[in-house]
Amino acid sequence: MPIAAGLIMGMLTVNVLMLVWAERKVSAWIQMRMGPTEVGPFGLLQTLADMLKLISKQLITPSNVDKPLYHLAPLLAFAPVVAAVALFPFSQDTILVQNDYGLLFVFAFGGVAVLAIFMAGWGSNNKYALLGAIRSVAQNISYEIPLILSALSVVLVVNAMSPTLGFGEGLVETNGLDLSHIVMAQDQHGIWFVIFQPVAAVIYFISALAETNRAPFDIPEAESELVAGFHTEYSGMRFSLFFFAEYTNMLIVSMLAVVLFFGGWDGPVLPGPLWFFLKSYAVIFVMMWVRWTFPRLRFDQLMTFCWKVLIPLSILNLLVTAFVITVLGQ
Amino acid sequence: MGYFGKVAGGFVSLLSGMSVTFRQFAKTVFGRKAVTLQYPKELPKLAPAYRSAIKLIRFDESNSHDCVACKACERICPSYCIKLSGGKVEGIKKKRVAMFEMDFALCSLCGLCLDVCPTDTLEYSKVYEEAGYNRDWRVDLLAEFRDYEDEFVAKQRVIEEKAAAEKKAKADAAKKAKEAAKAAKEKAAAEAAEAQPSETQPPEEAS
Repeated sequence: MPIAAGLIMGMLTVNVLMLVWAERKVSAWIQMRMGPTEVGPFGLLQTLADMLKLISKQLITPSNVDKPLYHLAPLLAFAPVVAAVALFPFSQDTILVQNDYGLLFVFAFGGVAVLAIFMAGWGSNNKYALLGAIRSVAQNISYEIPLILSALSVVLVVNAMSPTLGFGEGLVETNGLDLSHIVMAQDQHGIWFVIFQPVAAVIYFISALAETNRAPFDIPEAESELVAGFHTEYSGMRFSLFFFAEYTNMLIVSMLAVVLFFGGWDGPVLPGPLWFFLKSYAVIFVMMWVRWTFPRLRFDQLMTFCWKVLIPLSILNLLVTAFVITVLGQ
Repeated sequence: MGYFGKVAGGFVSLLSGMSVTFRQFAKTVFGRKAVTLQYPKELPKLAPAYRSAIKLIRFDESNSHDCVACKACERICPSYCIKLSGGKVEGIKKKRVAMFEMDFALCSLCGLCLDVCPTDTLEYSKVYEEAGYNRDWRVDLLAEFRDYEDEFVAKQRVIEEKAAAEKKAKADAAKKAKEAAKAAKEKAAAEAAEAQPSETQPPEEAS
């Protein structure tokens, strides 16, 4: 287990470094710029230099902060994302933590991140941080509903397929919440759930953008309004822990998207984990692409969009899915 | 348009927006068309009419500037950014500038010095790297001319000597001509006197 934890930490660190680099490159290319080119080949070592800078920086604790909350918040933002990554099946045999309720756990760890953000905002004793945290909580709680509902329609499909699900010695019992079973259901039928559930896939993707506080839903840390949102008062390594959590959250939601809709490790020729990560990074590329395309939503637009469009559509999608499965099952 | 129509329409418009940014992305990645100028490595192409701080013109015939250190530019400069001195140079008659320094930080590119220059030896340069490294940063405009100054003086001396010699020759010739004319006139007068020794009227007085 310590080895696995070390592997995950190493993987996530490299992932964050590469994602920040990729984000800067993609944004530069979309705006017809060049991005980092100076440090290392293609500027690849730029983010490593940034990370070294952040690590060596002084940790400033403002005098009027709520000290326990302020110190705990970065750790609480950081720990659940690492835990959530361990649940994912990178291939049929590469699963660090086998769990029958993997999908629920991933969402539960996402919920802890909201708590950390609110702790950071409240503990900082800063109006911008608090406003950012309030927005973040309102947004994350709202968007968790369509996110889970869209995932739930996939779970229904997996459950409907469960009588035909074979694994090794024979048929397996599944509750539809085990991440590797979700992938196996797609693998064995040779069809990705994005074809069964296109609406759920789109709703999932939009809600995932909001869950990770990415543009166009980045109002919790809207630079032009709130300085930096909930992590305004954080410096050095504490800030980089939030940063780490944010980019790892991107990886988690895109890995979950790959598991739910794009067939996980399923793919020809190449080994499973490679397919898994290729697909994940393709989803992340789309997230970056979206970020550099759309302007930030206003807060009321954000809420209207969630409650009037995403939630009704996802409930409808779930009902239709359940109805079709029931009809076909008889 | 109903609720679902609006949702679908919104989704399509999102996709069309994304296609715009993807075209830019592809253009930059595959067309290698980034607009960035990698400044210290590649230098900008300046417009033909680009004008920056002044410089001294190098004339082809003399291979040097033509500044005579009259200080007209220093006096007219509204921001006091020109400092120059100079004067008589041993061996030639022409005055030459010995020190010409500019403070680019103060220059407002008004161009009055160009207008006032009596020898028209100033022009706008295309120097855009004007930053200084301390408060008293001065740029020596004569730097590129110093190596040619001796050459210029030698050439100028030849020119001046030649001009002086020509002038002298011309003056001699004029003097000679004048003397000749005088001699001829005297000769003519003497001849006339011989022909009609008394009571003669010059023809011009009669007319």
